[in-house]
Amino acid sequence: MNGSIFTRNKSVPIFIGVLFLFAIAVTVMSSAYGTGAISVSFTKVLGMTLCLCLAALAMDLVWGYCGILSLGHFAFFGLGGYIIGMWLMTARTEAVVRSNLAAAVIPPTQAEVSQATALQIFSIVGGQDWPWMWAASDSLVLTLVLVVAVPGLLALVFGWLAFRSRVTGVYLSILTQAMTLALSLYLFQNDTGLRGNNGLSGLQNIPGAETIGQDRISIWFFWASALALGAAYIASAWVVSGKFGSIIRGIRDDELRVRFLGYRVEVYKLFVFTLTGILSGIAGALYYPQAGIINPDEIAPIASIFLAVWVAIGGRGRLYGAVIGAALVSLLSTYFTGGRAPDVNLGFYNIEWTDWWPVLLGLGFVLVTLFAPKGLGGLVDYLGRKDKA
Amino acid sequence: MSTLLEVSGVSVSFDGFKAINNLSFAIGQPEMRAVIGPNGAGKTTFMDIVTGKTRPDQGTVRYGEMGVSLLSMSEAEIAQAGIGRKFQRPTVFEDQSVWDNLRVALKKPRGPFAALMDRVTAADRDRIAELAEEIGLTDALQRRAGTLSHGQKQWLEIGMLLAQDPRLLLVDEPAAGMTTQERNHTTEMLKRLAQTHAVVVVEHDMDFVRKLDCKVTVLHEGSVLAEGTLDHVIANERVIEVYLGR
Repeated sequence: MNGSIFTRNKSVPIFIGVLFLFAIAVTVMSSAYGTGAISVSFTKVLGMTLCLCLAALAMDLVWGYCGILSLGHFAFFGLGGYIIGMWLMTARTEAVVRSNLAAAVIPPTQAEVSQATALQIFSIVGGQDWPWMWAASDSLVLTLVLVVAVPGLLALVFGWLAFRSRVTGVYLSILTQAMTLALSLYLFQNDTGLRGNNGLSGLQNIPGAETIGQDRISIWFFWASALALGAAYIASAWVVSGKFGSIIRGIRDDELRVRFLGYRVEVYKLFVFTLTGILSGIAGALYYPQAGIINPDEIAPIASIFLAVWVAIGGRGRLYGAVIGAALVSLLSTYFTGGRAPDVNLGFYNIEWTDWWPVLLGLGFVLVTLFAPKGLGGLVDYLGRKDKA
Repeated sequence: MSTLLEVSGVSVSFDGFKAINNLSFAIGQPEMRAVIGPNGAGKTTFMDIVTGKTRPDQGTVRYGEMGVSLLSMSEAEIAQAGIGRKFQRPTVFEDQSVWDNLRVALKKPRGPFAALMDRVTAADRDRIAELAEEIGLTDALQRRAGTLSHGQKQWLEIGMLLAQDPRLLLVDEPAAGMTTQERNHTTEMLKRLAQTHAVVVVEHDMDFVRKLDCKVTVLHEGSVLAEGTLDHVIANERVIEVYLGR
């Protein structure tokens, strides 16, 4: 049973291989480094999809393996986005302000630049000073630390309170919904320092890379997202493969038995909850520079529910299922809600996909739950059996 | 033989119903004890109290040579202190192999980081093989526990109990759903265990209790009605009254 994770879990080499080939293919077809068959905006969609896959992977760890149906993991995703967004926006705005002031006779002092930058960013919500939470926004290193630390800390504190009190099942799900709703409503306020419903924008402009086109940046972020997903996949496969994996699956199936074996169930749950919160935060920090904008609507409760739907459709408790579900459903969503899907005219009724896609998705979720509880991943089992027969 | 577990004056009530009423009980190591009683006598609640699942309203539960109180300990701490429990309905991790079930139960550090870093040593392998032999599941080690028969699941759970290397075993209806042959094997296994461990067996089946050939405690309405050899307690008029109706 010992040995490398690549030999223990067959899905790891396959997944990494497929991901690598996919990344190569996209690069070869990109406009910056290849034929140009894939547009810059679609490259970004693909990169963002990989980030969503990463969040779904985290969701599978916490729900599919540990049985904690968290309906709040998108809050961590959004937090990661907001934190990287603060740095991006500060650096970008400061560069713009500097170039505007460059023509002035007396060179501006650092304080003046900082003051003008703050005014530029916050005048939209009637502010002119830096809010305290932007304190680290001028340092990339600190920002990257916070991308991991803030979602991790929120997950740690929330999880500690919930698991210590042995909140489980549907009550925990409701609590996590409340968490993401509360965070979203809080961020909607204009005076919280994160620009209320305007959110943070212009995040696609990477400081120090002004002269590099979006065509190249989109590929870089795509690769960064692919690397993060690949690394997280290997790490997740390692976490669930050994004794730890046995224990958390045991917690999912029979919490009491695990307790009576002498394991502190709440510590294990907290570990998984925090780890997956961090993974979601990293996914968000990679997603929003590609999306270009983040606002509080992103972490509305429905977003976290979608995350669970993806994992359910892809198949719980098998890692690659979550990735397949997230990729398929989010790409289909982009297609159907992007206005490119042709309407279906039935004569008496015109089906517009932008309206009917959510209905279709909901129906798909119900059907999967009822008839294919293993999700799309169940197909893999089915095909695997056929091969052997 | 010294006293390993001492329960004294324990009471617990649920919504006004006294499930356990001033119960006192003691067991030494090694010793085998059968606990019998009609439905609702408080047998399961008694186990819940000892294992930390239920907190009593009154009384003390002391364990070990130092007489530490179990009342302030969590289920996990109590289990780590050496009290193992087998449930009435066999509870094993059905989604995992027999081997994985036993591995999780093995006596090793219980923290998450230790579990992440855990490597299967040669000693672990030997111990699992030894346990599988004991519970007759050597050929089923790679099978999913969910595919085992009811009796095999009972044994697997007993095996997991043994893997923890506890000092006190609380075993709830170990022979339920077993064939006569399986029962005999279970009886032998428990008797062998009781030569070194403290074993409390909760049982309905009088034939099974007779085969265990040990001291019997009869519970009724949450307290001890009679204690002694099986022949002694079933001769007790109150016991007859309780079992046969008044």
